Amino acid sequence: MKTSALGLAAALGASLLLVACGGAPAEPGTTRAQTVNALPQGRIAEGEARANVKSAATGQTCLECHGAEGNAPLDPTYPKIGGQYRDYIAHALQAYRSGDRQHALMSNQAADLDDQQIADLAAYFASRPAQIRDLHGVHSIN
Amino acid sequence: MMRPLPIAACLALAFTVHAPAAVAQQTVAGDADNGRMLTYTCVGCHGIEGYKNAYPHYHVPKIGGQSSEFLANALTEYRNGTRKHPTMEVQAQSFSDQDIADIAAFLSSLTQ
Repeated sequence: MKTSALGLAAALGASLLLVACGGAPAEPGTTRAQTVNALPQGRIAEGEARANVKSAATGQTCLECHGAEGNAPLDPTYPKIGGQYRDYIAHALQAYRSGDRQHALMSNQAADLDDQQIADLAAYFASRPAQIRDLHGVHSIN
Repeated sequence: MMRPLPIAACLALAFTVHAPAAVAQQTVAGDADNGRMLTYTCVGCHGIEGYKNAYPHYHVPKIGGQSSEFLANALTEYRNGTRKHPTMEVQAQSFSDQDIADIAAFLSSLTQ
């Protein structure tokens, strides 16, 4: 009896230490990485499927607002996200999820996404053709 | 002694003058040629292929070809501090509504 109590105390201590160090394994669907580098590998096919799933909070899918392949926004205030950098899309979703960035629709849309879903969506939209570009060479004369 | 009225009038004036636009002034027509001149600074981060933000570590986004409405909203939110990014908040501080409209007009005109 005494040894099992001791074992229990040790296990409890160990689990507390794990939690304190942030190493406690989270349940699937609940991980909330703060940085892009802490996200799992994104999967394009799973991201495409996720982009067609209606959010419980808004009743809308990604594509219903950002358009086919993220390149045909339904409202001019919405960005094109097809071909955007994968890590930037992931960062934007993480910022909406954490509340660092606010938007009437996107804050709710991202609130329930887990890390894998964010990584998958970022991988999918980044893999689409880009209509947007960086500013390399835009001021050159030719 | 009618002091409260002038004080209230002054306060009202102060708020009118200093209250920043909550959202982009869509009524301001953008001048893309002037926007071209105003965007030389942007290239230092948005124009270097593969360039990454320091922390957290991610690519600086592609912004050429986004709509003028989206771009103007983003810059206005950075200027108001409602959207957070250390560099972008500082950049946007110096822009008038007209500057923002001009920058948005130029950047939205860019194609692949």
